[in-house]
Formats: sequence, structure tokens, C-alpha cells
Amino acid sequence: MNQNAEELNKVEKKDLFTSGHRACGGCGQALAARLVQDASGENTIACVATGCLEVFSSPYPDPSWRIPFLHSLFENASAVASGVEAAYKALKKGPVNIIAQGGDGSTADIGFQSISGMFERGHNVLYVCYDNEAYMNTGVQRSSFTPYGARTSTTPMGNKTRKKNMPLIAADHGIPYVATATVDDFRDLQRKVKTALSIEGPKYIHILAPCPLGWGHHGELTVQICRLAKDTGLFPIYEIIDGKLANVKKIRAKVPVEEYLKLQGRFSHLFKKGGSKETIAEIQNIANQNIERYNL
Amino acid sequence: MEKLPLGLVMELRNVVPYKTGSWRTLMPINVMHTPPCNHACPAGNDIRGFLRVLAEKKDYEQAWHMLTRTNPFPAVCGRVCPHPCEGGCNRRDFDEPLAINCAERAVGDYGLENNLKHKKLIETRKEKVAVIGSGPAGFSCAFHLAKRGFQVKIYEANSEPGGMMRYGIPSYRQPNYVLKQEIDNILSLGVELECNVKVGVNIPFDQLRNEYDAVFLGMGAQKGVSIDIPGKDAENVFTGVEFLKQVNTGKWVEIGNDVVVIGGGNTAMDCARVAKRLGANVNIVYRRTRNEMPAITAEIDEAMEERIMFRYHTNPVKLVLDEGRVVGLLCVQMELREPDASGRARPVPISGSEAFIPADTVIMATGQAVDYDGIEIQTVDKRWIYTNEYLMTSTEGVFAGGDAVAGLETVSLAIGQGMRAASAIEDYIEGNKESELAQQPVVISRELNTYYYQPVKRYEKEARSIHMRLKGFKEIYPTFDQDDIIAEADRCFSCGLCFDCGNCYMYCPDNAVKKSKTTGLYEFDYDFCKGCGLCAKECPCHYIQMTLEK
Amino acid sequence: MLKQVEGSRAVAEVVAKCRPNVISAYPITPQTHIVEDLASIVGRGDLDAEYVNVESEFSAASVVLGASAAGARAYSATTSQGLLLMSEVIYCIAGMRLPIVFTIANRAISAPLSIWNDQQDSMALRDAGWIQLHAEDNQEAADLHIQAFKIAEETHLPVMVCMDGFILTHAFEPVDVPDQKEVDNFLPPFKPTNIVDPRWPRGIGLFADPRFYMETRYTLHRAMEKSEETIKKVSEGFAKAFGRDSGGFIKTYKLKDADVVVISMGSIVGTIKDLIDQLEEEGKKVGLLQICSYRPFPRREIYNSLKDKMNIVVVEKSISLGRGGILASDVRWSFPRAEKKDRNISSFIAGLGGRNITKNDLRYMVEKVEKEPVELEFLGLKKELISEKDL
Repeated sequence: MNQNAEELNKVEKKDLFTSGHRACGGCGQALAARLVQDASGENTIACVATGCLEVFSSPYPDPSWRIPFLHSLFENASAVASGVEAAYKALKKGPVNIIAQGGDGSTADIGFQSISGMFERGHNVLYVCYDNEAYMNTGVQRSSFTPYGARTSTTPMGNKTRKKNMPLIAADHGIPYVATATVDDFRDLQRKVKTALSIEGPKYIHILAPCPLGWGHHGELTVQICRLAKDTGLFPIYEIIDGKLANVKKIRAKVPVEEYLKLQGRFSHLFKKGGSKETIAEIQNIANQNIERYNL
Repeated sequence: MEKLPLGLVMELRNVVPYKTGSWRTLMPINVMHTPPCNHACPAGNDIRGFLRVLAEKKDYEQAWHMLTRTNPFPAVCGRVCPHPCEGGCNRRDFDEPLAINCAERAVGDYGLENNLKHKKLIETRKEKVAVIGSGPAGFSCAFHLAKRGFQVKIYEANSEPGGMMRYGIPSYRQPNYVLKQEIDNILSLGVELECNVKVGVNIPFDQLRNEYDAVFLGMGAQKGVSIDIPGKDAENVFTGVEFLKQVNTGKWVEIGNDVVVIGGGNTAMDCARVAKRLGANVNIVYRRTRNEMPAITAEIDEAMEERIMFRYHTNPVKLVLDEGRVVGLLCVQMELREPDASGRARPVPISGSEAFIPADTVIMATGQAVDYDGIEIQTVDKRWIYTNEYLMTSTEGVFAGGDAVAGLETVSLAIGQGMRAASAIEDYIEGNKESELAQQPVVISRELNTYYYQPVKRYEKEARSIHMRLKGFKEIYPTFDQDDIIAEADRCFSCGLCFDCGNCYMYCPDNAVKKSKTTGLYEFDYDFCKGCGLCAKECPCHYIQMTLEK
Repeated sequence: MLKQVEGSRAVAEVVAKCRPNVISAYPITPQTHIVEDLASIVGRGDLDAEYVNVESEFSAASVVLGASAAGARAYSATTSQGLLLMSEVIYCIAGMRLPIVFTIANRAISAPLSIWNDQQDSMALRDAGWIQLHAEDNQEAADLHIQAFKIAEETHLPVMVCMDGFILTHAFEPVDVPDQKEVDNFLPPFKPTNIVDPRWPRGIGLFADPRFYMETRYTLHRAMEKSEETIKKVSEGFAKAFGRDSGGFIKTYKLKDADVVVISMGSIVGTIKDLIDQLEEEGKKVGLLQICSYRPFPRREIYNSLKDKMNIVVVEKSISLGRGGILASDVRWSFPRAEKKDRNISSFIAGLGGRNITKNDLRYMVEKVEKEPVELEFLGLKKELISEKDL
């Protein structure tokens, strides 16, 4: 790593992903995308998967990108990025930051094949996953990142499966850098992006991006909800560098999961009459397990 | 319309972005709010202002100039003000309130050490104003008028200026040299001062009214009022103000070994602590309890630390005389019943509970009144001067402020009234309708987003040991460390005013918060703002408000 | 240089000489030898390119898409199931107007699983917006690749070179593999425009709402129609440079006095030519119209060449299930309605799943259409394997 601490911690705002996109007001993914692009700088090629990000940011004739972007299909952002990286190697151009970006589906479901191949082949590509815990673009359907108990349009009674642990899966591919981040701590997020881009090889950053529409909260609460996700232990913040857990962000003051759940419409069924206390207890259990496992 | 590019591959350099601002139903606006400290300050100081200057720019000089915009006595107030600002400070709901009073003193002391000077705002104009009384109200009024170019002359009955600041507050709380330097600074703006002139006695009041374009009455309430019990006219019986004035002019007052002070106000506390330093045993006698004492809490606490005895529920019935001199008081115990007109519990004597308390000197700090000698002016119940909300009396061209108007209040309030009266006088002279200051709403603590802060210990001033304190009249609190004060100022939440944390700038998903190249402040780009409200929610100082879209 | 070489090998060598920068392919029978040979060529250092071993055909196409969008000359090869799996990306590449070249080693489509040759796979993607060229023999297969890169880069349309799996890919024939210098003279280095480049930011893959989408499709369609010119020009240029005819729009054989005309494409053409020669000795006049460029479809050429021919039979290795012969429909469409009345256009489906097409089968076909027109017939169908109710 050849960047000094001051450079890494500097907050960047460059308008590389700028106004005019059609995201909902308060969109966590738009905020995350803006922070990621700014941290990476102008020497970047963004390979974007179909999803909310692509749909709200790249309509003809007024996309909100100011760095080159390449959008192909839903499930091939990683593969396309691999191709771009191969081209730059073959043509002996570069160096350039290649950032593949996608949401739940393009990372862990339909795009799992591509990302696994990209990791395994060792391409010098950073993959950023915007985790909004469902297929938001198509109408809030369940994905493998949907947490236990959440209501989506395809799990109206509450999701029965646990969240797929993509960061660990990524790390087990043997890639040099994996990190999780949230949009409330922008300094940390940008630092992680910059750290990742300074490492050769495949990198993975998993960002929690609350969706006001899909999660059922007012747009202004996006940042607060991220904080609660961290403080309950449901979304641990850590890095995995060369296979070892590092820089785990300890919880400042532990918060019971109800504080986090009750702000979101997608969990409101747990608090109504007939709501399930077992589900809430199970969610608390998941949070406690995280706290123990990552030593939060 | 442009022709479609090949493969719909689009150049990104000249994109005309889509104006998403049309989606809004709510819009963010920057609204400067009044912080609770400013709101509580009777002198109208911009506390947030000078604290932020200290915290961000670490510039004591600029802080001094900012504070002396409203208050020409920062070193004095930093010692004597009961700091209602700290009571209002929003940080008290997070950890502890800011030590604003200490910061004020540090700034005032810096001004004294570095001989900082006030600046005149405009050149001298022809109008003249007379100020009667050189206490805080009078000097404040003179200061603000002089800055605005008026020619001001202060008439002071005593031989030295300062009013109660000079003759009332003892020097262990407020050293004379501090007051003198701040007074000289005001005088250097060109204010004339004539001492030993009592208006109404040495000079007719009407003469001033004719000679000057306006007159300000700031004579305070310096006449001591004693309680009407037998023996009150004896030689060794003083009113509170009488006693303090004598000590403060440097006279030696023979008080003997036992002193009894009657009363529960600040004057009583001052008298008791002065007497203690003069070597006596001091008892304070008060007919109600501590809860009902009007004195500032800190004063009572410090008096108790200095081993002054407090006798509550005790009321003197008569003074016992021997050869025309008081040798003690006969007091009766009181019990408290339902509240009287003053709102405090009504004390009722318990018969048969009389007791004798020996005393070499009795000080009656039981009230003060305005000395109207020779001045005809409408009063309220024959006590305080009547004024309207612009501090104008019922007499044309005559304004008033301070204790003479507000009753027994504080130096800070007098300073604030002096300032308001100066504005009113300017409006009167220019024939303007009195200007209304738009009141911004006050920020309360639950409107702040304090997630970004960690609890930090408040600066606590350290007093000298009791032993050292009682040795003489030196200041109880030595000078504060400048860096410590800057660290304390950094705890200020800047309620209601942007302090450039950059949260709104970084958190906007639509890049609709821009940094102005000219002012460096954050502005909203309403072409693109979608009204989501993240900026307002994450603003730690409640500077951003969401309002309905026009 | 003339070599006795396996078809796949020839293709691999020729493709390597076209200097692709990025090669990405997923193995699938019968294309495997092409990608294996290319891997050796790259591994030996005879070609300076990035060879990406992807995890599926889908990723193979995606990698190639990304590489081309970044300015590299990109190549891949697939067939049958792989082509169908990557069909999303195929359409995407065409919509983005990326000049990519693929080799399709035509193979039947599952289910039932079959690794043997027919042309159902490339037919399934005929509407995607790719230029589809069919090779008659291994020489043409090799030559078409050189032409393909040139056509793609001039028209900004991707090109599929279709060669029959096993029949061509695994057959050993003498092939003149041109040397590097000859290829370099013919095929200039790739000068990409419209690529992702941080020095000049562009967005590729924007979405088009109803205001714009139709125009993009129109443009693509017109581009395909106009590519006819380039295809012909490149073929002529190739003939001049290399001294042999290869590619082009259509080719004819003994068409002039023919009473019956057979239309077909791919390796079957070789057998048809042999039959025509045989029938000529027997006094029958049969001609052949060979389609080289299936997309864009040579409608005008077919009409002009066969205006006076009243007996036409189309034999193809594909079928539109529920409708009939695909090539036959295309051919029938080539004649205006007014002129269809007395003209017979018969449709025969042959060789599905690698079923051998013999000269006798073809002879039967010609004799049948001499008597009467055939709406649709499966050539060589074994009726004894079909139960009564399904017939």
C-alpha cells in the first residue's frame, strides 16, 4: 500500500456521479455510489449491472455519470469488468481503476457465477456491492441478502432464510481485500475504496445501502438506519486483509434490534397484533451471534 | 433533438442533467436559529459567535471584538455574571453545559492584557446625549451611542465611575483595576465623564433635558433600605450598600469581632464575605430558607465555604443597644406558610422563640431603592422608573435602564438595557419608528443531532484555598489558561448556525449541496434537490429546516 | 501455406494471425479444439493476447463484450447450448455495435442432447443483429474469419462465422493458411471508436425509453441491410489479395439452364454440387444457389438470380418448430406475392442432429420436386420409429 494515512482519510467530493439521476429521495445506493466514484477519482471505468443504480443513473440522454461507464446485463458486471481489465492488460494501457458495481442479484444470485469466476481468475478489479437487501429495482422482491423476518413482495409473511454472507464467501476465494461499510460513515467508506484500489488483484466491498421505498422508511432516516444497523450488530463493519479479519469497528453503545426494526415498514408486521415475538428474538439472536463472531 | 449516437454510446462531457428538483414536496432551507445561550443572555451577547471564533480560529482578539460588539465589560461580566446562558446551553442535555462564563472572562482578560481597543463605527455627529450614572447601564448606553457617533457626557454622583460595579461588588470578586481598564477603554471612544456631580442636586435635571437631544437615566438603586425595627439608626448599624461603598472606597471600617448581616440577596452575601475578610465572625440572618434566598447560588455556596454561619427561619425583632451602640439583636424563629405576594412562602413568627444574638456590627442588606433626589420622573408604585418596551420613560426624550428600571437585577441585564436604550435613543433622535429585531426561533436540544459528539468533561475553574482567599481581597479565581478555554469553546454545538461540518455536503445522494466559491458556505442546488431531508436530519446544529415547497 | 490440417486447427491459426487482443472462450463440443489450439498459440507466445479462462459461455461473451468496449479486438467461439446461454449477451453486443467476431461450430440443440451438427443454434439467434456468414468448407471457414474482422470493424456490427460442427471442425482437409504478413496487409490494426476511456468519458449501455428505442432498432436494421456492400467489397478484396473466391453474399453453381434450383448453406453444399454434376451426366439440369451471408438476408440477389426459375427447393438443417423450414420461409418471402403463383418453392428439412445427408437422399428430393411441389418434408425421416398417433 503506497498511500499515506492522510491521503487515505481525506474525504473526496468530485461530482463524478452527479445530480439529475432518478433515484428516490434519500436513496442509500445513490449516496454510496456517489461516495465510491468520488473516492476512486477520474481515472475510473465503472462496469455497472442492471438494477436500481443503472436504471436511475443511465437513461439516454442524461446519464448522471461523468466517468466512463459500461452497462451490459443484470448478471455480468464482473465478467464485463474482467473483459475490460483483460483489454487494458493486452493493449498495455492503464493503470486504471476498474470498479464493477451491482446490487443483490448481480452479486450473490444471478451474478454469482460471474463474480466467483472473476475472483478465482484474479482480475485486478474492485467489486462494490450495494446491499439493499432485496431486488429493489423490480419491485422489492426477496433476494439472498434479504434478512430474516423482512417482508418483501415475494415473502409477504416475512423472509424465512438468513442473509447470505457474501463478504466471507468472497474472502474464501482467496482475494487480497474484502471490506464491509455503510453510508453513514463516509470517511470510512471512502478510505476502504481507496485502500482497495491500491491493492492488485480482485477486491470486494460490501456496502449497506438502505432503500427508503423498499424498507419502508422516510428518506431522511437513511443515515440513521445505517447507524442502527451497526449498533445493533446486525451489520458488522470489518475488513479482511489477506484472509485475516482486521479493523473490526466496535459497537459504541449496543442497541436492541427493536430500535432498528421499528423504524422500517418492512418489519412492521412484527410489531402489530399477531406479530411474532419469536422472529424478533431470532433477529436479536442473529445480532448477538454477529457480535460474538466478529468481536464487536 | 440530437441525432442518436452509434450504439447509443454517449459522450459524457456535455450532458444536460435532468432537473430532479421538480420532484420535491419539501425543500431544505438554511435557517439561522437563535441558540438558547444567546436567547438567555440579558446583555444580548452573541455567545455562539464568540465561542465559535475561539474554537475554529483560536483567535482571542477576534473573539474579543465580537463580544464587545454588545458588551463593553467582558472582564467584569466574566467574573460577576450569574451566567443564565449556561442554564440554557443545549449541551447540558448531552453531557455538561459549556463553561461560557469562564470563556467570557478569558476573552475579557485577553483584551486587558493586550490593550485591545474599541472601534468607532462612524464619525462623530452633532447630536448630544446625557447619561446620568456611570454604572453598567449608563456606560453601556454611552458606549453604544459613542460608537454610533453621538457625543455623550456621563454625569456621576460618586467620586469615581462604575456605580455598583465599583462600589457594590467587592474586589475579591471583581478587582478595581479590571473595571478601571475597561472603563478607560470606553472613555477613549470620546465619552466625557464628570464625577462628583449629582444630577437633580448639583445640576437641575431640566437643564440637561434642554441642553441635550436625549437623556438616559442609569442611576441604579443605590440607596440602602433598612428594616424598620427599633435601634436601626445606631452608629454601628449599616445598610448593605453603605457598608460596601465604604469598604470599596478604601476606608477602614471598624466592625469588631461579631458581625450580623440581615438579608438573603447578593448584597447580603457580599457584605458577609467582606466582613469575614476584615476579620470578623459573620452570621447571616434570614427569615426564610436557602431556597427562597434571591442571592446567586454560587455566592451562597462560596459564603458557606468561607465558614459564614447561616441562620435560616430567623427574623430580627429589635436591636439591643448599650450606650447608643448595638450590642446584639433579638430575633424570633419563623415558620413558613402559604406563599405571599412575592410568590415565596410567607414567614410567620413562632411566639416564645425569641433569642439574643450578640453583634458588634449589624448590616442590614434588606433592600435598595432608587435615589430620585431632584429628578421628576414617572415611577411604578413609587419604586422603579416607568418605561415602555423601548426603555423610554413617560417624559419626552428621557430613557432609562438598569436597576432603576428593572429592580435589583444583574450587571448583564443593565448592560443589555443600556444597549437597547441606545438603539431607542438613536431611533428617537433620527425620528425613525423604533426598529423591531426579528426574533429567530430558539433551538432546543432535541432538535440537534448529537450522534457525532462524544461526552467531554467541562472546564471547571479552580478556586484558591479558603485559607488563601480569606487572607485578603485578592481574586478567588486566578487567570484561566487560554488553551484550556479554547478546548472548552470547542465543545460548543453552535446551535442554529452552520459550523462547516460538511455533513450536508457529503450526505446528499443527489449532489445538491454545493460549496459556494465566494462565501465558502453550503448552498442548496434547488434544480436537483429532491427534498429527502437527509441534510436536515444529519445537521448537528439544526441549521437546516425542511419547509413546504412553494 | 497449404497444410493438411483439422478444420478447428486452421481456424485457430487464422484467428491468431488476425491479432485479437482478448480471447475468451468456454469449451463446448465441437468447438473445443479451436479454443485449445488458441490457448497453445497464446501460451507459446506466438500471439500476444489475453486469454481468459472463463467459467461459462455467458461470462465468455461478457468478457469479450467488456474487452471490445475497452478498445480491444476480441474473439470467442461457441455453439449450441453455449450460444443459447449467452444469447442475452449476443443481443447486447449487437445493440452496442461492438465489432466482435465469433465462431459458431453449428450443433444441434438440446433436448434431446445431441453433440452432432445441424444449424438450429445459429438460426435461433438470426434476429439478434449479428452478421451471419456460413462456410462451405474448411478453407472458406478459415478465410471468412479474416474477412469477418474486417467487416465487423467497418460496419460496427458483430459477425458470426458459422461452420458445421464435426463435419468441418473435425475434418482434415487441405487448407491454405495465409501467413502473418498477408493477413496484416489485408486486415489493418483495430482503431476503436466509442470506447470506455477515462481520458474521454463515455457511457455505453444507457437505457432507452420509448422515445428513443425504436430509432436504435431502425438504425441497426438499416446498418445490417447496408452491410451487404461491405460484405461484397471485402470478399472481392480478399479474392484480389489471396487469389481465391471466398465469402460474399451468394454463390451460384450451374444455375443458368437449371430447371430445378436447390438453395442451401453450409457444408451440405459440397454434396449438392457433387449431385448436380452427377445429374448433369444423366441429362438433368439442376442448379445451386449457395447462401453465404444468411444475415443480412440476400433477398434481392435471390430474386434477381431466380426470377425465371419456377422450381425451387430449399434444403436446410434447421426448423422453426410449429411453423416449418426457416430458410424456406426466407426464400419464399424473397419473391413478391404476385410472382409466387406459378412458382414452386419446396421445403426440405435435413440432417438434424447430425443425420447423414447422402447423395441418394438429395436425389430423391430433386426427383420429388420435379413431380410436385413439397410444402414441408423431413428428408430421410424414419417413419418406423414414430408411433402412429404422432405421425
